[in-house]
Amino acid sequence: MDLFFQILVNGILAGGIFAVVALGFSLVWGIMNIINLAHGSFLMLGAYVAYALFANYHVDPFLSIPVAFIVMFVFGYLVQKYIINFVVRAPILTTFLLTFGLSLLLINAALLVFHGDIKGIATSYSGANFSLGAVVVPWVKLWTLVAALVITALMQLFLTGTKTGRAIRATSMDIGAAQLSGVRVAHLYAIVFGLGSGLAGAAGVLVSLSYSLQPSMGEPFLIKAFVVCVLGGLGSVQGALVGGVLYGILEAFGSQYIGTGLQDAVALVVLLIVLIVRPTGIMGKATA
Amino acid sequence: MASTSTVKVLQKVGMGGITGNRYAIYVSCAVLAVLLVVPSLHNGYIENLMRGVLMFATLSLGWNLIGGYTGYVSFGNVVFFGVGATTSAVLWQHFQQQNILLAIVVAAFVAALMALVLGFPILRLKGHYFGIATLGIALATQEIIANIDWLGGGSVTSIRQVDFFSSYYYAMWAICALSLGATWFIARSKFGYALVAIRENEEAAAILGVDATKYKVFAWMISAMMAAAAGAVFAGANGSIDSPTAFAVDNNVFPIVMAILGGVGTVAGPLVGAFVLTAINETLWSRFPEIHTLFFGAVIVIVVLFLPRGILWLFAVRGGFRGFVNSLKAYRV
Repeated sequence: MDLFFQILVNGILAGGIFAVVALGFSLVWGIMNIINLAHGSFLMLGAYVAYALFANYHVDPFLSIPVAFIVMFVFGYLVQKYIINFVVRAPILTTFLLTFGLSLLLINAALLVFHGDIKGIATSYSGANFSLGAVVVPWVKLWTLVAALVITALMQLFLTGTKTGRAIRATSMDIGAAQLSGVRVAHLYAIVFGLGSGLAGAAGVLVSLSYSLQPSMGEPFLIKAFVVCVLGGLGSVQGALVGGVLYGILEAFGSQYIGTGLQDAVALVVLLIVLIVRPTGIMGKATA
Repeated sequence: MASTSTVKVLQKVGMGGITGNRYAIYVSCAVLAVLLVVPSLHNGYIENLMRGVLMFATLSLGWNLIGGYTGYVSFGNVVFFGVGATTSAVLWQHFQQQNILLAIVVAAFVAALMALVLGFPILRLKGHYFGIATLGIALATQEIIANIDWLGGGSVTSIRQVDFFSSYYYAMWAICALSLGATWFIARSKFGYALVAIRENEEAAAILGVDATKYKVFAWMISAMMAAAAGAVFAGANGSIDSPTAFAVDNNVFPIVMAILGGVGTVAGPLVGAFVLTAINETLWSRFPEIHTLFFGAVIVIVVLFLPRGILWLFAVRGGFRGFVNSLKAYRV
């Protein structure tokens, strides 16, 4: 039974990161109908921001989260405004291809700048953990989960509580009506994409605390983001959180009881079952 | 089934109708015919390169049938390529069969069966959800195959090559030519019109009497057979196969990129895309060996911005340069 709880806790702790990764991906997809294949490379850039600050100025990675968010927000805003906005109304495959190209470009630019060797962030508290009965909890992972929850809550507050947030939700419902009500769609789309890449950047910092850094580090997370989006339902903040934690738990149990090599397969088979039984996700609305 | 008014609408929404630009098809056929002489040049580099182009063109044609014509965008068609490659390996490892034709037939049969079984539940899903489900199938299948020893497991499985190595080239050529021919035939048939009707409006198509499920599953089966045949030949020509190679991300994404680059939902688009993309890739590779992938990414971004619906779309634009610029503006916000 101890093992069961240990795996459950591991899964929940890992799930926080998945939730933040999926949140930005889901936002961009749900609101603008863009499948952002560069999301993984945005995550990688965020992780390198944390690494650069840590290696050069000894900034604690948790303090780099807002920095990475802002840097990636600005980056994403510019990418949407000056590149993606030109083709955003084309069929979804067009932006799919565009972001694929963007991701190749970013990963290889990072390879030139940061080189391919594997880097890591080792803080003073990296190895520390505490025990809860028989369950061992690493501090880093616990704080990562807390940070993930805070980020998700802030995002929810922004989308429901601010004027811009309401404009974003209005645009996702009916772009024409939003335009008539005075929403500047081009600017708003850039903000949404900025938020998406900012969240990817923040997620990258969280990832950098538990995983090693290299230019293609974001790609596995991109696939997880896909799955989490479906589990939770597209474009929903609570959905991303529930989906992320659920995915973390699934993966943890899958690797323990079925084999490390098959952990993704287990999660993916569950995904297929969810899709077939409930195509709009666990938290998704009935109509879609 | 397809009334005259439906056909007119299709001609409006498509690029010069349901088959796409007819001259592009003629040129593609001519290029394919010329490619038949490649092995007699006795240049290993060119033969390998062109076999690669033919392979990707086939994968792209297969994807185009379900993703382009039917509008069910699959992100996991690589699964059939991987299954085809694995079939080839299993045939040699366990049955000592090194016959290319046999490998193709068995691979295509296995893939078609898989598409049939998976198609009924999966093709009920709409839009994005179908895409993610296919991605899930591809990743899960890869992991499952990597964990079953009889199927080669996580290790590299070697395949004894046939004595006349260019056989693999001719086999790939034949598969590509057959896929192109099949796409052309399908696009002009009642079946093709049914697929496009499903893409444009599935409910309306159903009301007109199109049995959507049957047509979708059938289209996916044909798509799967094309990919599996290419995979079977690839594994043989490669001489060995392991699951990261068989299910490589490139084999999944490049065919989609090529179809978009050429023109989604046209007969010749995938072939045009395969040639143009390979040409770009090879040129960059030889000029800038260190950073060619970076340039490749940049080229894709630029191409998408100026040709958002593919190269063949240029032929459908009316009104010269001004018309072209105006057509680009349609996608801005």
